[in-house]
Amino acid sequence: MKKQHLRRGAMVALVIVVILCCFLAPYAWIVSSSFKNQLTLFNDVTPLSWRAFLPVEGTFENYRTLFARTNVLTALMNTAIVAGGQVALTLLLCSMAAYSLTRIRFPGAKIVFVLILLTFLLPIEAMMVPLYQVVSGLGLSNTLLGVMIPWIASPFGLFLLKQAFEELPVELEDAARIDGAGHVRIFFSIVLPNVKVPMLTLGLITFLFSWNSFLWPLVIIQDPAIQVIQVAIAQQGSPTQLPNWGETFAGATVATVPLILLFLLLQKYFTQGMTTSGIKG
Amino acid sequence: MSVSNTLSTASAKPRTRRPATRRQKRDWLFAAGFLAPFMILLLVFQYVPLLVMARNSVYDYSLLNPAAAKFVGLRNFTDMIDYDDAAVSFGVTFLFALGVVVFVIPIAFSLALFLNSKLPARGLVRTMIMLPVVTSSVVVATMWSFLLDPSNGLINGVLNIVGIGNQPFLTSTSQALPALIAMTLWQQVGFGAILFLAGLQGLPVELTEAARIDGATRRQVLWNVTIPLLSRTTLFVVVIMTVFSLQAFAPAFLMTQGGPQDSTNLIVYHIYNSAFIMQQAGYASALSVALLLVVLAISMAQMALLRSRWNY
Repeated sequence: MKKQHLRRGAMVALVIVVILCCFLAPYAWIVSSSFKNQLTLFNDVTPLSWRAFLPVEGTFENYRTLFARTNVLTALMNTAIVAGGQVALTLLLCSMAAYSLTRIRFPGAKIVFVLILLTFLLPIEAMMVPLYQVVSGLGLSNTLLGVMIPWIASPFGLFLLKQAFEELPVELEDAARIDGAGHVRIFFSIVLPNVKVPMLTLGLITFLFSWNSFLWPLVIIQDPAIQVIQVAIAQQGSPTQLPNWGETFAGATVATVPLILLFLLLQKYFTQGMTTSGIKG
Repeated sequence: MSVSNTLSTASAKPRTRRPATRRQKRDWLFAAGFLAPFMILLLVFQYVPLLVMARNSVYDYSLLNPAAAKFVGLRNFTDMIDYDDAAVSFGVTFLFALGVVVFVIPIAFSLALFLNSKLPARGLVRTMIMLPVVTSSVVVATMWSFLLDPSNGLINGVLNIVGIGNQPFLTSTSQALPALIAMTLWQQVGFGAILFLAGLQGLPVELTEAARIDGATRRQVLWNVTIPLLSRTTLFVVVIMTVFSLQAFAPAFLMTQGGPQDSTNLIVYHIYNSAFIMQQAGYASALSVALLLVVLAISMAQMALLRSRWNY
């Protein structure tokens, strides 16, 4: 009996180790290799040794050339602006809309709601051609505003906040209303402070989506001076045409580390947001 | 009785409402003002493109010179049928989506069972399988094109250890699509797992406990209680993974350029190419309309299924 227990334990441990290796090894390889020159990198893979997963004989050369030779640094800054702006505007517009829909009864609310609901069904990324025409028609191609503006009125964001607003007891605001507070004051000083967690969740998901978006910025931005990070690293090259793998890996690392750190810090909210959303950037 | 009667008629007939008071009117104005920014952006960036797309699908034009558009009626759609490219691209995309779903569902479910158990290292595993989910598709595609490199890739390095020679992967017509499916599985399985986990945690414990007390084995409980109870979650995960896979772009763009021989020419990449490289925006719009209809059909089917059966 005890032996059987032990064997089962060993099996479970083995499975766990295999799972961890499958998910960790690619990251370990990419990050470690970003600190190596081409020759060391190749020698560590064929034949494969443990050295492939650790930055032995590391150098910062790849990062130095990456920042000196490419537009990655500018792209990082552009991405931070786009993601930050998108988060701020999404939170503001979605919460205002959610307030109207949950706290005020007005004619036509149903139609508005159905209009929003229907957009859930649109595969918006697949509509890049008409979207490109609309956004460039507004004179927003090759601008950072053009990168973020189509995604600000997020139906997912509205639903997430609407749900949170509905759970707030009306009594909270009744007292304020009797004191003569208007909607603006109730919105900013009573409703918003009570939905911090949903706002944080929505902010994180929006940030993730914005930081990682690729197809849309690829389409709408041609000017390398206002390129975002995903497009910048995508244009670095593929294994066959590239003399230096380490530099590409350095780019991938730089583009990923900020998000991974954010995820590790706030994992609970990320996971929550993703399970309620079912959509992902 | 009479009281409840009047109440119900009153609520059933909102049209006989009294004229709005001044206070109400002020509220309405406020609601409109607060909703306006959201609704304007929604209309401009979701509904207008929809109309533009429908209109453009019956024109022949290029994005470089949209003014020279020529009305061609349904020719873009008949072209989709007459030439092979659309059928091949949709076929590849469906195969890709099918491959992803078939593998994601059982693996994500098993991972969710593990995460829901009391086994050690659960937290670590959950964090690890979520890393690819928060990693951008560009980085994942870049990472994997190097992992799959025919001569110096890590995966061939691992295969060599167990005595298998180097595989071509992305440069082979038979291996490229399976390689992309494997990559997407790796990227998405964590997402599927946390969705299943949320479903598992929402199950009433009494049901499985009752079955255990009645003498059912663990396996019987899993097959006859847990899995049927999770059919809604499963449907949800299937639809999300399908819709997500139908819209995949970065793998084809970065790893294979749709090749070799169109074997990975995913539909969104084909649309991108038609519009921005080949400058056939009208044809690209027609392809987009077709894709939209497919996605709508899937979403409708999901809603119909969710509404009708399986109310455990």
